[in-house]
Amino acid sequence: MKESIGEHLTWTWPLVGSVHADTILTTWVAMVVALIFLAWVGNSYRRPRVGKTQTIFEGVIDYISDLVYGSLGRGGEPFVPFFIALFIYLFTLNQFGILSYPLHLLGFPFGGSPTGDLNTTVPYALLIFLMIQVVAVRKKGLGYYRHLAQPFAFMLPINLVDEAMRPVTLAARLFFNIFVGELLFIVVASIVRQQVMIGPFNLSLAAAIVPIFIQFFNFFVGTIQAFIFTLLGIVYLSLATTEEH
Amino acid sequence: MSSEALVAAATILAFGIIILGVAFGSAVGDGIVASKAVEAISRQPEARPNIFLFMFLGIGVLEAFPIIGLGLGFYLLLVVANVPALLSHLAK
Repeated sequence: MKESIGEHLTWTWPLVGSVHADTILTTWVAMVVALIFLAWVGNSYRRPRVGKTQTIFEGVIDYISDLVYGSLGRGGEPFVPFFIALFIYLFTLNQFGILSYPLHLLGFPFGGSPTGDLNTTVPYALLIFLMIQVVAVRKKGLGYYRHLAQPFAFMLPINLVDEAMRPVTLAARLFFNIFVGELLFIVVASIVRQQVMIGPFNLSLAAAIVPIFIQFFNFFVGTIQAFIFTLLGIVYLSLATTEEH
Repeated sequence: MSSEALVAAATILAFGIIILGVAFGSAVGDGIVASKAVEAISRQPEARPNIFLFMFLGIGVLEAFPIIGLGLGFYLLLVVANVPALLSHLAK
């Protein structure tokens, strides 16, 4: 088992410098898993009749597309596949920590969840941020940036900070939720390993059941956070692209 | 009292205060969200799935801040002051 958290195996790549090897490897595997899953679900839509696969996953896809249509209107149609893929991909990344402990035991250079690394979540938040800028400028022209000086010109610094904090909070929320989940797991595991005795009472034996609950909590948190990341992306996009009154 | 014992004591105290604030704030916030959700369901039981969803969404957005506080508290405890190493050093 991983003894410490926040330490990563590093590779040195030309042009980029040192990278976190375990995060990158885990991300690749999660990417393959998510791509295969999406291809499998997408393939079921090509058949003339509604199959089992489509029926099962129609709920998730319908739900996210309803959210996109609800906040972006008909103009949100091109973004439906992006947000569905984002949700499923982030869900895979968040849940990958459960698999990675056995894989780590077998000697693979895998760490925890890739989203438990700030280097994974910051690019995704920046991706959402840049996408919103590009979409808004393509739709409204450079006049889009007029909203920064509204309702009054002296609100400019506040609006700028508000705008700039969005990717920061988006990245920090996802990162800390997953990271602290793994940290709690490791803290409890170290309590279990240290054989803490309080008089005749073996605290470590009693604490041995706690990791199961922590993994349930992590599953819940990972699902909720993947959904919140997607939903906040949709909300920020709708704030940027809908018409002003 | 040696300076290491002082650092360990101060860090553990600070961790306790962080946990106090985090637990208190998130408990109050979650309580408000859940009580409003129960009120809304009792007023309009047919909207229950929708209300549940937005309740979990609100809890998810809210719960990020205590978890960030908890993460920074553990960072203080385990990385900045490295209290377990200090304690085992003091025990010798």
